[in-house]
Order: sequence, then C-alpha cells, then structure tokens
Amino acid sequence: MGANSSLLSQDSSDGSTHPAKLKLGDIPESCIALVLLYLDPPDICKLARLNRAFRAASSADFIWDAKLPPNYHHLIDEHLTNTSTKLGKHEIYARFTRPVRFDSGNKEFWLDKRTGGVCLSISSKAFNITGIDDRRYWNFIPTDESRFHTIAYLQQIWWLEVEGEVDFRFPPGTYSLLFKLRLGKYTKRPGRWASNNEGVHGWDIKPVQYQLTASDGQHAVSKCFLENMGCWEYHHVGDFVVDDENASTKIKFSLTQIDCTHTKGGLSVDSVLICPSNLVKDFRALL
Amino acid sequence: MLKNLNSKHIQRFSYKYLPQFPISPNSPKLGFSRSQIANYRSNFPTTIMSSSKTIVLRSSDGETFEVDEAVAVESQTIKHMIEDGCADTSIPLPNVTSKILSKVIEYCKKHVETPNADEKVAEEDLKSFDADFVKVDQSTLFDLILAANYLNIKSLLDLTCQTVADMIKGKTPEEIRKTFNIKNDFTPEEEEEVRRENAWAFE
Repeated sequence: MGANSSLLSQDSSDGSTHPAKLKLGDIPESCIALVLLYLDPPDICKLARLNRAFRAASSADFIWDAKLPPNYHHLIDEHLTNTSTKLGKHEIYARFTRPVRFDSGNKEFWLDKRTGGVCLSISSKAFNITGIDDRRYWNFIPTDESRFHTIAYLQQIWWLEVEGEVDFRFPPGTYSLLFKLRLGKYTKRPGRWASNNEGVHGWDIKPVQYQLTASDGQHAVSKCFLENMGCWEYHHVGDFVVDDENASTKIKFSLTQIDCTHTKGGLSVDSVLICPSNLVKDFRALL
Repeated sequence: MLKNLNSKHIQRFSYKYLPQFPISPNSPKLGFSRSQIANYRSNFPTTIMSSSKTIVLRSSDGETFEVDEAVAVESQTIKHMIEDGCADTSIPLPNVTSKILSKVIEYCKKHVETPNADEKVAEEDLKSFDADFVKVDQSTLFDLILAANYLNIKSLLDLTCQTVADMIKGKTPEEIRKTFNIKNDFTPEEEEEVRRENAWAFE
C-alpha cells in the first residue's frame, strides 16, 4: 500500500513537519483512499473537491472496484462495446450510473449511485400484451411521464394479460420486481395536466394477479385489488434471489385479470422496475 | 514419575498442552480442570505447558516492547518478517512511535485474548473496547491508521478508517475543511474541473 510514500500537502504553513501534529490534510493519499473506501460514492465525490490529495485519492481504482458490482466485466462486455478508450474504474462507475439502453432501446439498466446496486426498467413496448394491436382495447400514448416516453393505456377489455421477460446478468443479491401502474390517465388541458378518471372501471370486482418466475425455478404469485390509484404506484410482484454472478438470470413476469364475466379499463401501464429489495422504498419515495 | 510416562500419555497431552497463547480464563476449554492442570504442572515441571515465544518490537524512538508471538502476528507485516527469519533479535518498526505502538499492542492483545465472538458477552465486550479505543484525538487516530496500514492489521485498519469515515459522513466540504483544518489548494480552473468530473454523483 505504500504508507512510506507520503504526499504531504504542499503548503504546510507552519513549516515544521513534526509528526505529532498530524492532521487529515497531511496523511498520505493512500491512507485517505483507505478512509474513502468506507464512504458512499456521493460522499467520495463530494470529498474529491476538498483538495488535490483528496481528488487524487478519490480516483483510486481499489475504491471503485469495491463499489462496482462483482460481475461488472460482463456488463462492460455486453453493453459498453462502443467505448474505445480504456476507462478507469471511477469512470466506469460514473458511466453506469447513467441508464444504459439495450434490447432495441426497450430496456435499460443503471447502477444506484449510493449503493452500486443494479436496477432495471423494462418499457411497456417490450411487453407481450394480449390485444395490443386492437385500438379498441389498448393504445400506446406518448408522454414524458415515462422514462421511455410511452405508456400503454387500456381502454377496456375482458381478457387482461400483460407479460414480459428479461434475461440479464444480475450481480448476486435479492431483487424485487414491481409494475408501475396507474388507474386513469392524464390529459392535457390548456396550460395544465389534469387527471382523467373516465373509463376507469371493473377493478373492484376481482383482484388482478401478479406472477414472477425465474429461470432457476423461483416463483412468486400474488393477488391484489387495484384501487384509488389516481397517481403512479409501484406494485410489488415478488422477489427473487441471485447467487451466481456469472450466470444470466431469465425472469418472466405477468399481470393478469382473465375473469371474462366483466370488463375492466382505464389502466395505464408504464413499465416494470427490477431493483435490489432494499431500494424499493427509495423508488416509491420518488413517485 | 517419568518411567510411568508411556506413549499414551505423550499422545494425550502433547498436542493439548501446546496452546497458541497462554492459558487464561478466557481461553477455549481444553477439557481439563484447573486442579488437573495444576497437578500435571507440579509433576511435569518442564516447558511442555506453553510454547508461546516472545517477540521484541522496537519503535522509531528506540523503545522496545516484548510481546507474545501470538499477539505480534496479528500484524501480517510482522508475521511475514518472522516467517522470513528476520526476527532473531528484535524487529525494528521505524514508522511507528512508541506511543502508537503501545496502543497497537493493547489492541492486538485484547483481540487475541477474546475468543472469536462465540459468546454474546465476549462480542459485546470487544465492541465496547473498540469503541473506547478510538476515543482519541484526531492526530493519534490518523497515526493509528498509518500504523495499521504499515503493520497490515486488517481489523484495526477497518476500525480506524470507519471511525474517520463516520466523522466525515454527512458534512459539507466547508465543514470538513474547518473540522480537519484542510487547505483548499485548487486553482479556480482545477476546482471547476473537479466539479465537472464529479457532477454525475449529484445529478
């Protein structure tokens, strides 16, 4: 580690290098870097602005190596093929905190800034929706409310079935899968957005069913009544655990309500979010 | 008495009576009562009882400290020196003053004596020792980080770095500059560059 190679700050104004008055500004870069290892990336970036020694310490590779997911090499190989220059670990981390699109732009993943956890968002365009071709049932509505700029809106239907899947190399951990849904849609009136609940019907008769299946056999099923949802909400479908960092995990998920004795309508489907389970409350707080 | 010693005795006692560290009240149970041990000791007053060697450490200001080998090898640096055969007389530690070295030895002793967090009481005791251990002035804390790094004592390094990290966490750069008396040596251009480089963390 080289504690012997000290990098004393250049302006030691007191002139003396008496070791007894050692201050944080005087300890070697390598030791500052050791301390920074115990902080979150946002804190590390904040401290990089303190002075030159901190700036140098904050870009130490070993710090960012610890913050990146263990299988980040796979993520680079698969998703950052167009970068020709060799990026330092600090830059790799920074790059991955911005969403990376894949699968024809219908899916994107990013690292949570604070924890480095991998989060995924899947657009409604990537879903397999029964009746999506029939404009009487479903429509894609362009909007800025979604990170993909499109939501799928259900006018009315008897057989509600929304399915999707994703194949991704998740780093080991426990993840939650959530549907981002809303009852009703926003329409633009002159100068403002107004929530429009016309057409919302049929959700109080039977619950909708959520299902989640992982390629290694993990399975979750739940039912819930959709109600009072004038705003976007994340609906928890289930959790899955990833153990192997080298294997790709295929996740299938669905939202169904196939009781054909009644119609339902007025549902906006934005996307599916997959994130580490401990970050679900942060995402909910953002809505 | 010795003629009664047969191979069965030797097999039974030799490996059990060569502990890594001196038998103390906190040692793992060896399966013999105190009176049995005392009885054995009085009948076999040879040095089978304890094989703990001591190592002499010399601080930068010339003071020497004699410590049990088991305590000294908490430091990977010292451990490698012993294994490489450089520890015949004393081990010089030119980067560590006597004040810091005595604290480091105190830390290592406590951690060697306490069995590996098997009992809740021992774990709590160790935690509270650690918490008190780092209640020192800033200058000593940074010296301890440097020493733990040089001596390669992971648990001490974790403890001291985490303590400083906790002191920094949640403070603005200005507050940190004031608390730790850090001078801003950036030129305005450098300052702007750093801000841009790290803007991603605040978007």
